Amino acid sequence: MSAKFHLAETELLASLVGQLLDLVHGEQKDSSGDDPLAAVVGFGPEAERPTDPVLLRLFPDGYHDDDEAAADFRRFTENSLREAKANAAAMVLASLATAEGARPDGDVDDADVNQSDKVRIDLDEEQSTAWLRTLTDLRLALGTRLGVEEGDEEHWAALPADDPRRHVHDVYAWLGWVQETLVRAISP
Amino acid sequence: MPWVTIVWNDPVNLMSYVTYVFQSYFGYPKKKAEKLMLDVHEKGKAVVSAGSREEMERDTEAMHSYGLWATLQKEGE
Repeated sequence: MSAKFHLAETELLASLVGQLLDLVHGEQKDSSGDDPLAAVVGFGPEAERPTDPVLLRLFPDGYHDDDEAAADFRRFTENSLREAKANAAAMVLASLATAEGARPDGDVDDADVNQSDKVRIDLDEEQSTAWLRTLTDLRLALGTRLGVEEGDEEHWAALPADDPRRHVHDVYAWLGWVQETLVRAISP
Repeated sequence: MPWVTIVWNDPVNLMSYVTYVFQSYFGYPKKKAEKLMLDVHEKGKAVVSAGSREEMERDTEAMHSYGLWATLQKEGE
């Protein structure tokens, strides 16, 4: 199957997926910059139960009311889970780099390349699955950080246009639209 | 079959995606997958599989890899 994006959208996706990779690798990163999306990144002592709600949502407890069993489950599963999420994210990054119409170096500052230029990305089945998983992880990270709740669209739409959370929520909603389109395209 | 895997509702995951996960991981027919998805959405949780503790740990880990919020427990607890 093939997906069409504006060049700027692939740039945004690549940036988000890069941040997700840092997050699942547990790398410490300065999130005090002025990019609100960077707030998604950071934290990450491994093996222990994460205190950051985003990491706890990406790597949830396997047991509800049994801390000891939950700790064992985490010890046995979290590393492979991190690896699986990182592999899917890396596959998405690789497929983004194949976007036809994009410059090989990804440089969009050149005068002859417009952010609104359309690019095409071809995805096989394995890549489509990786996209679905990674889009989910991105939406979980952004949604948890924003504190998204069911049926709260009006709340976000009512925020002032210069509120950074509104921008992040726009991105979150757009990722949901991309994912919905992809699920519908590949659902049996 | 004393253990079960439970998927919990969350405000982020798309209904279509949750259905897709139940179909592609468990191999459930679309109708059953949609019924389970609606149970999760409307009742807050649903038992999605049953079996040995080891099998349910595997299913729970798989659900986490798809980004679904899942736990395992003894049946009926």
